[in-house]
Amino acid sequence: MSAPALTVTVDGASVEVPAGATVLDAARAAGRWVPTLCFDARQAPFGACRACLVGVEGAAAPLPACTTPCRDGMAIDTEDAAGRRVAHAVVELVLSELPRAPAPHTELAQVARRLGVGEPRWPGETHAPAPPDVRHPYLAFQHELCISCGRCVRACDELQGTFALTATGRGFGANVAAGLDAGFRDSACVACGACADTCPTDAITEVSLLP
Amino acid sequence: MTESVTTTCGYCGVGCRLEAHRREDDGIASISPALDGPANLGHTCLKGRFAHRFARHRERLTTPLIRDERGGPARAASWEEAIERIAAELGRVRAAHGPDAIAGLASSRATNEDCYAMARMMRAAIGTNNIDNCSRVCHSPTSFALRKALGLSGATGSFSDFDHTGATLLIGANPTEGHPVVGARIKQATLRGMRLVTIDPRRIELADYGVLHLAPRAGTNAAVVLGIAHVLARDGFVDHAFVAARTDGWAAFAELLPAYAPAAVEAISGVPAADLERAAHVYGEASEACIAWGLGVTEHKHGSEVVQLICDVALMTGKIGRPGSALLPLRGQNNVQGSSDMGALPDTYTAYRSVADEAVASSFEDAWGVPLSRTKGYTIPQMFDAAVAGELKAMYVFGEDVAQTDPNTAHVVHALESLDFLVCQDIFETETTKYADVILPASSFLEKSGTFTNAERRVQLVAPAIDPPGEARTDFEIIKAVSRALGHELPWATPADAMDEIAALTPDWAGISHARLGRRGLQWPVAPDGSDAPILYERAFAREGGRAHFAALPYKAPGDAADDEFPLILVTGRRLQHYNAGTMTRRTGNVELVDADVLEIHPDDAARLWISDGDRISVRSRVGRIELPAQVTDRIEPGHVFTTFHFPETRTNLLVGASADVNTSCPEYKVVAVDVRPIGEQPARVPALA
Repeated sequence: MSAPALTVTVDGASVEVPAGATVLDAARAAGRWVPTLCFDARQAPFGACRACLVGVEGAAAPLPACTTPCRDGMAIDTEDAAGRRVAHAVVELVLSELPRAPAPHTELAQVARRLGVGEPRWPGETHAPAPPDVRHPYLAFQHELCISCGRCVRACDELQGTFALTATGRGFGANVAAGLDAGFRDSACVACGACADTCPTDAITEVSLLP
Repeated sequence: MTESVTTTCGYCGVGCRLEAHRREDDGIASISPALDGPANLGHTCLKGRFAHRFARHRERLTTPLIRDERGGPARAASWEEAIERIAAELGRVRAAHGPDAIAGLASSRATNEDCYAMARMMRAAIGTNNIDNCSRVCHSPTSFALRKALGLSGATGSFSDFDHTGATLLIGANPTEGHPVVGARIKQATLRGMRLVTIDPRRIELADYGVLHLAPRAGTNAAVVLGIAHVLARDGFVDHAFVAARTDGWAAFAELLPAYAPAAVEAISGVPAADLERAAHVYGEASEACIAWGLGVTEHKHGSEVVQLICDVALMTGKIGRPGSALLPLRGQNNVQGSSDMGALPDTYTAYRSVADEAVASSFEDAWGVPLSRTKGYTIPQMFDAAVAGELKAMYVFGEDVAQTDPNTAHVVHALESLDFLVCQDIFETETTKYADVILPASSFLEKSGTFTNAERRVQLVAPAIDPPGEARTDFEIIKAVSRALGHELPWATPADAMDEIAALTPDWAGISHARLGRRGLQWPVAPDGSDAPILYERAFAREGGRAHFAALPYKAPGDAADDEFPLILVTGRRLQHYNAGTMTRRTGNVELVDADVLEIHPDDAARLWISDGDRISVRSRVGRIELPAQVTDRIEPGHVFTTFHFPETRTNLLVGASADVNTSCPEYKVVAVDVRPIGEQPARVPALA
């Protein structure tokens, strides 16, 4: 029933993946790390952040691992120099928009550490610092930490199916809102917590886990 | 955060795998979904994820309590004194009135091992089959009907069937509130194109995602299911090859169907004939289709018959035993499947084998080393009747608040007051513990090890993330201690040892051990080599001859009906934010989201009765009366009202009478005729002129 498996090479090692697998799937199957920010295995690949660029033999430029399907015989270089340079810049730019560093346990902080991104080189405008929104008994917004990756919005849509969250604003005002920015409590939110679970910066987190 | 433990959620029957993160200073810091949980696939709801603070609530029972006189104040006591008192009182009752004057309730909230221990204690230490569990009042009709029609008491497939089926009939269930993670899964399936038909007197959230919503009058499910079968038969959807090869009883069932033409069913149920035809076609035209149901099917006078008719529909179309074609009862509590599987029932040992079966009974006698009764014990409602009649003298209630959740509350309280001796084993004081002579402080699901079995028959490990508070103990330790004091040693050091005994004595569980369950659990039956059964009946049914059985059961009227004095029909159910009696969720932040029961009433009925949204109103049935606020909404059909039973201030079950399923005595919670009016308005002595 299942389609025939594909064989690809990841950093020189051969790995077998099912048809339909992405380059990211293949890299993970081979035990190789690829930086990601907007990716969550529970959601359809989004391809927005460009942190997961990898080298593919024969491609003119690095390709996003999360949205590129594997072809049989594909040779993948997860540490492609150009790809890594972009990933480093993406993460540094993202960090430069935040008025404070994300907590060390967050996915963004972990990716930055692993890529060796230090203090961003571009000081200047950031998201406006704001106190956390704690109008809901469990779910809190820290809007200043939102990087507009869209994971919370997609978790609400694709995992829960409540469609309570939406992307709002532009530029440094880009953020996420529950309902018409009514806060979780007065939106359609059912408090499943899928948004907090996927958020890579704690822009959405639990009230009891706020710093 | 220091440590994390992977465990299984203790709320509903979905069986979400959770990561519980322990705080350094004791207590749970947070809970997140396990990404590899087979039932939840990295998702949870607000109960499993957030509603954990009850575990360290100041009202937790942390020491045994004893009442020196019935109705008197409770005082703290040592474990030794409490257990001595239990052994002495139960011993006295047994000596004076025989073992059948004592009854026990195991808990569908507790683990398989706890329930097995409780059943063994009642049977071997006390010597009675008076053991039951709260599945009696929810899905016992499902269990009965599935065994009768197909052979085994469990879903025929898995939740994953929703992911690759063409159509689903969802009857009498509101999964986005009662089983939120499965509700989300069904919703996602509809967004991908699965055709959903919802059948419920309330316009549930999923109705907005389906292709069709049928709103039958409460209590007329049988007519609707027979009407669907009529159209399937009439329009050529019968899989005659399947029927001939794998079933018996088709002819008698087919003979019944001419009487259920859509127009006739419309007259009974109020469902438009055209909708009934469409519903049958949605199901019949899909090459794979599922039927899922909940307590809106079972908690009726003829609930067990409706489940048999649901089986008939799957059998006549051959939509069973394949990926995407399954019968999926949405079991209520976390271990409502397992507590019954474990033989915490008055008529069966593990895996539904009769207490009267000589070979089975003697296998347990050999293992336990005591003679065992061959006589069926009392069901829960029979226990209360027997207590009021003076035949039952003592009860041991473990993890159930019968005085809030069981029907006919006044009768239940009368029964509890009539007992000579009542033991309650729970994590909080409840309505029921008010009548207890001894109260034992037990442990929540976050504090124990063992297994729960979810609605897919999946046995999954439960692991302690924190310790029981104060002197509270795990249920497993408590039952062992009481059984020892009663003279029967339960010879297990850990719940894993108990599971080994269960596996040794239960062929369908032969391959189960804690070591083997791992992170994903196993779906029974599990062969000795450890291979499990995500799909049942692929080749044969588990009945004699391997054939399924069609039940030829006509529609029968429900036990209660609206009349001049009680013109509306009350249906009860649950809300997303709370869980049953609310013992746990009322002690969490969930009360900030929902802090009271309300009565849903249709705008037409509300206008006629001069009721506005938020008004405090009186609801009176034939057996009781309550007061609560009204919520005017067109989610409920005219002629019906809906409420929940989460708050003891409301005591909704004062309204529910003694009517129950004819085969399993599951109470008819879903059809109660009531009179609704603003507070302060007296019922008119003379009916108003029309």
